[in-house]
Amino acid sequence: MGGRDKGQIRIVEAFLSVLIIFSAFTISANLTVTQNRTKNDNLASVGLQALIMLDSDGSLAKYIGDENWNGLRDVLNLILPTGVCFNMTVYDEQMQQINADIISNGGFGGQQIAFVEYVCASRGVTFHCYIIHLLLAVVA
Amino acid sequence: MKNCGEKLKRNSSGQLLIVAALAIAILISSTTIYVYEVSREKTATQDQLIAELVPAIKQSSRNAVISSLANASKGGEKSVLDANLNSLSKAYRSLNQYGICNLSFTVLNDSNYADGIWFSWSDTSGFGVSSAYANFSLAVYGLTANITANYAVNITTAVKLEGYYTIYGSEKSVSLICQVFNEGKPALAKNITLYYEDLGVWLPVNSSNNFSITDYGNGTYAISFTVIAISDPVLVSAHVTDLREISVQANATCYKA
Repeated sequence: MGGRDKGQIRIVEAFLSVLIIFSAFTISANLTVTQNRTKNDNLASVGLQALIMLDSDGSLAKYIGDENWNGLRDVLNLILPTGVCFNMTVYDEQMQQINADIISNGGFGGQQIAFVEYVCASRGVTFHCYIIHLLLAVVA
Repeated sequence: MKNCGEKLKRNSSGQLLIVAALAIAILISSTTIYVYEVSREKTATQDQLIAELVPAIKQSSRNAVISSLANASKGGEKSVLDANLNSLSKAYRSLNQYGICNLSFTVLNDSNYADGIWFSWSDTSGFGVSSAYANFSLAVYGLTANITANYAVNITTAVKLEGYYTIYGSEKSVSLICQVFNEGKPALAKNITLYYEDLGVWLPVNSSNNFSITDYGNGTYAISFTVIAISDPVLVSAHVTDLREISVQANATCYKA
């Protein structure tokens, strides 16, 4: 009887151990993924808001029209939060890439990558419509 | 002893099975909850992004109308508005991230507007208008949410010109107040060119006319110049370009003060 009790207690102990370890693993993994996702989701929103802000006075189209890629990179660096990497590609209406230079502030070391697609209409006398692809990542 | 051990093993195997089953059940339920939570967050985020896209589309529509009016006011065809908005609509249809994005529009046609464009430049009351108007209908069919919105874009640059003249010997000194408006609000001008009429001919005002202009910084400009004109009253015309490159003309009749 004593031996059987011992065995049962060991099983219960083992079960509890597994449960505790598994719970800890599940909760921590869940928390990590949730935090990553939240950052990732906010990132797309932050990127979209940055483009809207730049476009509000027509300066986004002006940078593109003037092919001032360095200026565009600098202004994006200023608007986006620190620790955010970006890589922008500008296309015309026929989806031909316009930017000859890379519009980016560094390598994508982070795991959380967000993508924003944006249409920019110019204000000038000659109308241009640009399609912008913006990739964002949080530096790890 | 051996029998007792085997008996114990046999007794424990059922309990082990239950424990294993319990563990598997917990594993499955945890996975299910996790997947559910992740998908719920993704849905909410996608909806939020689509909601944030609407102001961006309104802004693009506005920019396209501004560009069209700037073009038409500088001698372009009035049909440029329709063509530019078609390009914009096509660009939005090519987007993939937000689902299907359909932007349709109608340009205004009434007693003032033709193809969505209205110029009132020849009136001598001192008021000139360049305006464009289009109605938009937006429908975004996302994976998790649909958004529809109807809105109108009206871009108007107006100029109010009024003044008088005084006689100094053989010259007439003309004083004018020119006010520039964007959508009814005071706005700055990029360039102002003045003309006056003498015997049916419009002549430009330049430095030889002692031309001076004072910018008050609030969309109001005080202008003065002198002319040796036979015509009375003096007809003046202001050709104004605002900061959005939209041109407008206003004509005023100046009487002796």
